[in-house]
Amino acid sequence: MVYAEYAWLIPILPIIGLLLVALLGKKTPEGGGYFAVGGIAASCFLGVMVALEYLTGGSSEPVSGTMTWLQLNSTLKLEMGYYIDSLSAVMLIVVTILCTLILVYSLGYMHEEGERKRRYYVEISLFVVGMEGLVVASNYLEMFVFWEIMGLCSYLLIGFWYYKPSAAAAAKKAFLVTRIGDILFMIGIISIFASFGTLNYRDLFTHNFIAQPVDMTLLGVGLFCVFGGAVGKSAQFPLHDWLPDAMEGPTTVSALIHAATMVKAGVYLVARSFPLMVHTPDVLLIVAAIGGFTALFAATMALNNPNIKRVLAYSTISQLGYMFLALGAGGYMIATANLSEAAAEMGNAGYMAGMFHLLNHAFFKALLFLSAGAVIHAVHTEDMRLMGGLSKKLKITSFVMLIGALSIAGIPPLSGFWSKDEVLAAVYNAGSANIWFYLLYIMGIVTAFLTAFYMFRLWFMTFKGEGKEATQHAHEAPRSMTVPLIILAIFAFGTGFILMGPDGGLPAVIRTVNLDGHLIAGETLGLGWIEKLFTEWQTWLSIVVAFSGVGLAYMAYFKKSISVDRFATGGSKKVYDLLLARYGFPRAYDWVGMKVVYGFSRAIDFFDRTVIDGVVNVISRFAVSGSGVLRKVQTGVVQTYAIVIVSALSVILILMYLLGGLR
Amino acid sequence: MLEGIPILTLLILLPLIGAIVTLLSGKDPKVAKSLALVFSGITLIVSLVLLLSFNLSAGGIFGQNYQFTEQYQWAKSLGISWIVGVDGISAPMVFLTALLCFLAILFSWDVKDRTKQYMGLMLVLEVGVMGVFMSLDYFMFYVFWEIVLIPMFFLIGIWGGPRREYAAIKFFIYTHIASLVMLLAIFAMYFQANLGTFDMRAIQAAGSLFPNGFQMGIFLALFFGFGVKMPIVPFHTWLPDAHVEAPTAGSVLLAGLLLKMGAYGIIRIAMPTLPQGASGWQWLLLCIAILSILYGAFASLAQKDLKKMVAFSSISHMGMVLLGLATLGTIGIAAGSFQMFSHGLITAVLFMVCGVVQHKAGTREMTKLGGLAAKAPWLATFMMIGFMASLGLPGLVGFAAEFTIFFATWQTWNYLLLIPIISVAITAAYYIWAMQRTIFGPLTDKIDVSHLRDVNWFEAAPLAALCAAIILFGLYPSLIFDFMRPAASGLAGLLGVI
Amino acid sequence: MIPQEYFLALASILFVIGAYGVLTRKNAIVVLMCIELMLNAANINFVTFAAFRNDPTGQVFALFSIAIAAAEVAVGLAILLNLQKTQDTINLEDIKLLRW
Repeated sequence: MVYAEYAWLIPILPIIGLLLVALLGKKTPEGGGYFAVGGIAASCFLGVMVALEYLTGGSSEPVSGTMTWLQLNSTLKLEMGYYIDSLSAVMLIVVTILCTLILVYSLGYMHEEGERKRRYYVEISLFVVGMEGLVVASNYLEMFVFWEIMGLCSYLLIGFWYYKPSAAAAAKKAFLVTRIGDILFMIGIISIFASFGTLNYRDLFTHNFIAQPVDMTLLGVGLFCVFGGAVGKSAQFPLHDWLPDAMEGPTTVSALIHAATMVKAGVYLVARSFPLMVHTPDVLLIVAAIGGFTALFAATMALNNPNIKRVLAYSTISQLGYMFLALGAGGYMIATANLSEAAAEMGNAGYMAGMFHLLNHAFFKALLFLSAGAVIHAVHTEDMRLMGGLSKKLKITSFVMLIGALSIAGIPPLSGFWSKDEVLAAVYNAGSANIWFYLLYIMGIVTAFLTAFYMFRLWFMTFKGEGKEATQHAHEAPRSMTVPLIILAIFAFGTGFILMGPDGGLPAVIRTVNLDGHLIAGETLGLGWIEKLFTEWQTWLSIVVAFSGVGLAYMAYFKKSISVDRFATGGSKKVYDLLLARYGFPRAYDWVGMKVVYGFSRAIDFFDRTVIDGVVNVISRFAVSGSGVLRKVQTGVVQTYAIVIVSALSVILILMYLLGGLR
Repeated sequence: MLEGIPILTLLILLPLIGAIVTLLSGKDPKVAKSLALVFSGITLIVSLVLLLSFNLSAGGIFGQNYQFTEQYQWAKSLGISWIVGVDGISAPMVFLTALLCFLAILFSWDVKDRTKQYMGLMLVLEVGVMGVFMSLDYFMFYVFWEIVLIPMFFLIGIWGGPRREYAAIKFFIYTHIASLVMLLAIFAMYFQANLGTFDMRAIQAAGSLFPNGFQMGIFLALFFGFGVKMPIVPFHTWLPDAHVEAPTAGSVLLAGLLLKMGAYGIIRIAMPTLPQGASGWQWLLLCIAILSILYGAFASLAQKDLKKMVAFSSISHMGMVLLGLATLGTIGIAAGSFQMFSHGLITAVLFMVCGVVQHKAGTREMTKLGGLAAKAPWLATFMMIGFMASLGLPGLVGFAAEFTIFFATWQTWNYLLLIPIISVAITAAYYIWAMQRTIFGPLTDKIDVSHLRDVNWFEAAPLAALCAAIILFGLYPSLIFDFMRPAASGLAGLLGVI
Repeated sequence: MIPQEYFLALASILFVIGAYGVLTRKNAIVVLMCIELMLNAANINFVTFAAFRNDPTGQVFALFSIAIAAAEVAVGLAILLNLQKTQDTINLEDIKLLRW
């Protein structure tokens, strides 16, 4: 292990880039963007080397190292360090490559931003620090630290054009909504720490539940709260509504943070917690249910949205739901299998499918966002109704975006097909453990249909049809933007094939644990996957569904043989408007925020000023007016005073005499 | 290396000499400013030496093992002595005092009205706070405690805002009544111990044998006395008024140091001397802490004045200190003490930022502000760091304190944590909303912004220093936490909780 | 020999007369004279006890108090003179500038 011991350097390298940007950014071209790219490229190199070394090393033992960060008392301490296992190695590859590509793309995309470029590169470098740190973190607390740093950067970058009120409001919403998840995450961490006395993955994942039993209810609550953090970060129902608004940021930010990496952190967190979660099937059922519901729910909102980036945002929410669905289904199988080898193997397939889809989605969604960015760069609008016929002018962009759309729609043999099929298969299999998973399977199939439809609606509306005014002066993006697009397109086309790589591919490295803590081997079928998949009816069902979705979009938006306008009028108008109003969620958030919380705080403030401060002022007024009465005693006539003194003295003397004091 | 040097007495004398010299200096305000800065700077260096030469591994019983102790007879017949000493709780507070006073003096570089007196009073304030944090004699403690009030009264009353007289008198009377209750409690302990000495250490040693009823009663009195200073809800209303009217540097010291004196008094006096009182009233501490946390947070959300919002947030964050202390355990007490330190740093940034906004924009009303980031990017950066630290962003100093307090709370009361943790969301809400309304959005047209400039050097320097400290101690909180842990575990041992 | 009680009774009567005068008379000079009466009542007591107990300390004290009384009258009359000059009255009921 030459490189792995330096894994802690991975998040450090972008910091160097960040400092260089901050110090020298004013004097160097592109606001110091080359420093940022350099720092991130260096960490990408190291990250990929670490990951490859680990994955090809053949050892299943994680590599880790820690140092004490905060000694709490004689026994408890908080630590910082690094932890590399197959999960974090795969994540490292995805994250570092994507960060580098998108940063290179930024050089072209942000070219016209002038002075603000330096701030952009500082913030995005800090974001990369957060994301890479999160992946290599050795314990939950460290993960939370980087998790929050990412949240900060997300906040800052959504509000990059802070002078736009909508951007400032979107940034606020993103921060506060994810913050609710973060609080749950923090509670989860605290409860795990209290139960186990450690937060280190190495200790937690090798914990012997038989020798040292823990309170399972408490663990379940803790893990549920941890999942709450994932819900916030990965924009799952009911904390999903910040992500569409987050599209107010630059498109590179949407691609990097709100599609490819940060929103995946929630999925990564659940995958990370798998060795603990397999002990709490109820939590996994919730994970799957939330994921499945969100997948369908978000896909419906993408159906009629006119904004190109928001459609992609809903699609991201929906695809993230798929990942949670797969993880939940797989974990549930393992949790309820009770050490049965076969069931555990099926469960492992779900785990693998979730991560597989994460990997593929990261690439094709980044591709889609960056292509959308190239389109926006060319036409200076995000409204698809003003676009059309761009495929002649943006040849490269339209082609790579087509690859992305085909991939997400699940058309074989592109990457999205393989992973989506694995996800649905895992959910269907889990139906044997719990009947509810069949319902979730149906939701997944419907989602697949909707996904194919809205993606091709987007593609046809943008690139086909007649040119509009906005598209007159459109021109292809500069090379620093198209080259990353082409690279991403190759990834989006091909990453699905790692399912059947030479040494067993992805299933050989992504492994999870059984209830007794032993690693479960995945099915390493190699090319056998093709035979296996194409002999199952579920595969054919999803292919049919995908093609029909594409076909419907073709008829509606290219041939125009189906009029879509009639959904916007008449009886179905209500549904149409409901979708545009995002099921009323923004209003509900506002209502909770402004009416309930702010109203309550206004009431507290009123109470404070009138009651509490009122009492204080009444007491002081009482003192003032009381003294006004009492001071009348001071008549100024000396003899009155003397009389008082004499009579008081007499009374005291008489009393003393009567009470025996004088004897 | 420091054998024989009375370093603690020096730390009290230096600002005192500085105050006298400053007040006697000539008419030139520049001279007064420079003198004050030099003397507080030397004090800062000495306090840093103190911090660095503090022996972290020395343990022992809480409240009996002090370092750098000095003792001189003062009034023998009354049992009053000059005793100073520091332990792991007070040493960082001494450093914080020196740091904040130095930076506050630097920050007030543009005070034009009666500069000499202003600077002198700042140094007198430093004398008082230093004395409170290192006195080991009740008499001295009380004297210094009262000394602090006087310069603060004048700082608010002379250099304050439009309602300064109301605020100053309210502040003075409110806290003075609390001090008197505290004084009575001190006398009660003095006579109950019947040792003929005001030595804290001796009275503490006798304290655990006090009858239970006495402990309960006196603890309550002390808690009131110190609590008003912290402040605790419902005895907090002097604070927003005082802050709104006080000059910026006054607010910095008021929130950064004076509030800490209250919490410090609970740690140093009330809990170790009256352990049964502490465990008997634990439920009350908890209730007040939770009440303060939530009440302060919600009240902050409703404010339209930036500074008043920050003032209310102080109530919330000092409630967090109390929550840590209320657990009566090692982690909770250490975390509460650490929160004192971290809040001192953060709140100084926040009040300085408010001061800059007031100074540059002429108003602190958030409804009239907006888009300041375009004109004053550094101001926006400092505000961002301060707000983020205050809302507990990891990597900044507030998080380590908050997380450990919440952990201690969970350890002690489990699901009860769910109530105070709500404040984390509310805190984020008011800070983020405040940023949206002040530095983000389109540039405001409700005030004249044509002359709006970014921070001056004398404002940027203290802000940058504090932000650096916030990041440094946030990345590696052990630097300060390791001071507090041994002391806290000693105190927890006295309280019978490990 | 005259019994001790007679002296004491005389002193008491003088004291009470003096006190009554101090408390009731409006004229400041009369009040001053009444104070003298009270002082002399005390002096009689001093001398009486000194004589009956063979202890000269009481006589010394009486001498002291006579000297102080003289000084007091001087100061008092000076104040009254100034009062008359500035306020045109020495009626005690009119001199109440020090009330609330």
